[in-house]
Order: sequence, then C-alpha cells, then structure tokens
Amino acid sequence: MSLKKVGIIDYGCGNLASVINAIKYLKYDVEIIKKNNNLEHFSHLILPGVGSFRAGMEKLKSESWDTALKNYVEGKGKLLGICLGMQLLFNFGEEDGQTEGLNFFKGKCIKLNTYSKFPLPHIGFNSVSHNNSSIWSEIKNDSFFYFVHSYAIKELEEKYDCGTTNYSEKFISYIENGSVFGAQFHPEKSHLAGLKFIKNFIEQ
Amino acid sequence: MNKRIIFALLYRDGNFFLSRNFSLQKVGDVNWLKNNFGFGETCHFIDELMIIMVKKSPSLEDYKKYFEDIYELRKNIFVPITLGGGIRNLENAKNCFLNGADKVLINTSFYKDGDLINEINYNYGSKAITLMLDYKIKTENLGRVIFTDCGTKNYHKLNNEIISKISNSDCGEVIINSIDQDGTGAGLDFEALDLFPLNFKKPLLLMGGSGKPEHIKEALNKDQLSGIVTANLFNFLGTGLEISRNMAINSGIKLAKFEKLDLNT
Repeated sequence: MSLKKVGIIDYGCGNLASVINAIKYLKYDVEIIKKNNNLEHFSHLILPGVGSFRAGMEKLKSESWDTALKNYVEGKGKLLGICLGMQLLFNFGEEDGQTEGLNFFKGKCIKLNTYSKFPLPHIGFNSVSHNNSSIWSEIKNDSFFYFVHSYAIKELEEKYDCGTTNYSEKFISYIENGSVFGAQFHPEKSHLAGLKFIKNFIEQ
Repeated sequence: MNKRIIFALLYRDGNFFLSRNFSLQKVGDVNWLKNNFGFGETCHFIDELMIIMVKKSPSLEDYKKYFEDIYELRKNIFVPITLGGGIRNLENAKNCFLNGADKVLINTSFYKDGDLINEINYNYGSKAITLMLDYKIKTENLGRVIFTDCGTKNYHKLNNEIISKISNSDCGEVIINSIDQDGTGAGLDFEALDLFPLNFKKPLLLMGGSGKPEHIKEALNKDQLSGIVTANLFNFLGTGLEISRNMAINSGIKLAKFEKLDLNT
C-alpha cells in the first residue's frame, strides 16, 4: 500500500500519547481508533497496552477486537503489538489468572524469574539481540530499548523469527510472523533506535 | 542492571529555571529551551527526563500550563518521562500520567499523606512512583535534615526510622537531593549514602552538585547508586551530557549505548 495510515488501538489499556507522538514525529498519518468497524482504512495497526494479560484480553474481547484483528491480519494488514500488546498476541498468559490470548503466536506469557540483582518489574534500557529482518534495517544488533514488565514469553512452541533479551534469564523481546509483529520493549521511548524501528514497521 | 543518567528540568509559571541552594533563576520558556539548547538533541544522551514543577502548592491552572508546555517539549523527545512536584492527590497524579508521564514524582506528600503513595501504587504500580527527598546538612550535630515544601520547611532528621519507612514504602525508587550542593557544581554529597543500609530495598539515585562529567562518572561508580540526576542546565546541555555518558562508558560503567541514526533513510 503506498498510502500509509496508522491506527492506534485504544481499548482502555494504557497511555497512547507517546506512541502517537512518535508516529507524528515520523510524519505519518495516525489516528486513535476505539471502534473496529473500519479497519480496512488503516495500512498498519498498533496494539499498545499496560496492565495485566487477563484485563487486557477481557477488554479486547468485550469490544470484539479479537475477531476484528484476525480478519484484519488475514486481509494482510500489518499489526504491531507493544509491551502487553505483544504478549496478547500469544495463545496464553498466566498473569492475573490463566487466560487465552489472541493466538497469533504459540507460546506462554509467564512471570520472569526474580533475584535480588534482578528485581521485578524489569525497568530500564536493555539490549535486544535481533534477527536482522527488515524491521531492524540499519539498527545495530544489541541496540538498547526501554522495557517495563514483569511477565514475558520465555519459550516458543513453534519456530518464528524473533529477538531476545537477557534479564535474569533469556526471554523473547521481539517476534514476527508474516504481517504480525511484537515488541516487548517500548520503541516510542527508546531514542532514535526506537523511532527507526517504528518507521521500519510502517515501511513494511 | 544498567546505571542511569537522568536530566531534570525545573519548571514554574511557563518558564524553566536554574537552581542554586533552591533559589531559582529564570532561564527561559519552552521555545527558548528548544531553540537555544537544541533540547531534543541533548536528550539522545540521557536515560530519562524529569520535569519538576517547583512552585509551592500549584493550582489546577498552573498544572494546565505545565502540561501544555510539556506537550510542546515532548514532541521531539523519546525517552521515559517523570512528571510531578506539588502532587497532593490521586487526581494530580492521574493528570500527570494522562499527559505523558511514565512515573510521577512525590515529595512533600509522602510525609503529609501516607495514603497517597499507596493509592498511586494501587492504580499505577510502584514502578510509576519516584520519591524525592530534599535535605540540608545542619550543623550542631543534627546531621542531615529533610526539608519539604520546595525546601522551605524543616521536617525531620534523616535518620534510620525515616529511611526504614522509605525502604518499606510503595515507591519504586528514591532520589536524595542535597539542597546545600544544589546548583553549586561542586560535587555530590556521597557521605549521605552512608546513612542508607546496604539492604535498602529501593533503587537509590543522588542529585545535587554535579558540575562536570567527572562528577557523573564518580557517582555512577558507587555500588549503592543506580543513577544520578542533574538539573544543571548550563553545565550539561550542549555536548555536556554526551561527553559525560561517553566518559562513563569508556571507564567501564554499565550504561545503555544509544545509537545515532538517520531517520531519513
């Protein structure tokens, strides 16, 4: 699609200001979307999110976002989940009670191990070892991105292109399959590398 | 975990300020900051930005103007942001989060309203709460004394009882800020760290007195500190933060490395 239009999904889970700010800075057309009846107008969707896996899924399901997103992706729309938004792309989360996710990826979202040197939440800049796919174009391997989370995908049940980060243990910090992408980190708060990541997503 | 360099801007009534021992000197408004200091560029070398309201008892109108100016400033800044100063209730904190804060800064309210920090924790999590503790070094064997209300009111001796209360509170991190060293550029009060036990449960950051890259390196080398905060506009804007960051990284301190990338390619 030559004309890019980015929709940021507002399902009541999180602050959208920084994501909008980043996309505006990159000079793309961006809109917050609360209803999912005109998704075909958007070339790219971003699913942000803070809070628990269970609360996030309940909110998505209550507005039928689960079905709408499946249809959107089947129609080859590009979808990026950020932080909780990435976790929700998986089939299962244990936070706040066992919950089925959106099932774009097979893997479980579970609590990170914690030791005195590695308190939870994992907050701050940490490096991502990535797969050099096109979303990482011109971003060096092991670049630093901003993380805030306690739960993560530790193991994948199928093979996907992914990136990893270490914090007390290795976890999946980035994943992609076809037109669906997920970032455990916050690119919108991660300096120029984060902006480049968002730009590369929109240029997919 | 990586250490952090946090830059703090001091804000009141539409302007940013330099501070020396908590006496404020106006430097300019948001446009002045952008145009004269290339503020967006400078932020490529910090881990977090803090914008502190330094007005005593700010009104809702004061906050409205604060958020408008922050909106302007945030347009080209892509780092985690802490907002606050003057937060007296959950509504004040909520407005900070709605206006782009990743964390809120609590100071005086911690001592005056024990429930507020619990309420913010319940709604946003402890990770979203930074506690700032302003103190003066008193003579006559009083040791260090906590001051509240923008440094105007003597509250309590900084002793084990208070430190234990902070350690067990619902805040996510603690910044200790020396009013005596504030804005002097003469170096930080590292001796204050001796008051904090090794089993202190929160990430600890030091503020007040850094005036050159060597001060930042020295602070980041302290095992007890997870970071340093500086509000020294003139010493660290321009290339000061880049030089400080590179000096610390080159000396072996664990800091995130931020790439310079061309977004137009």
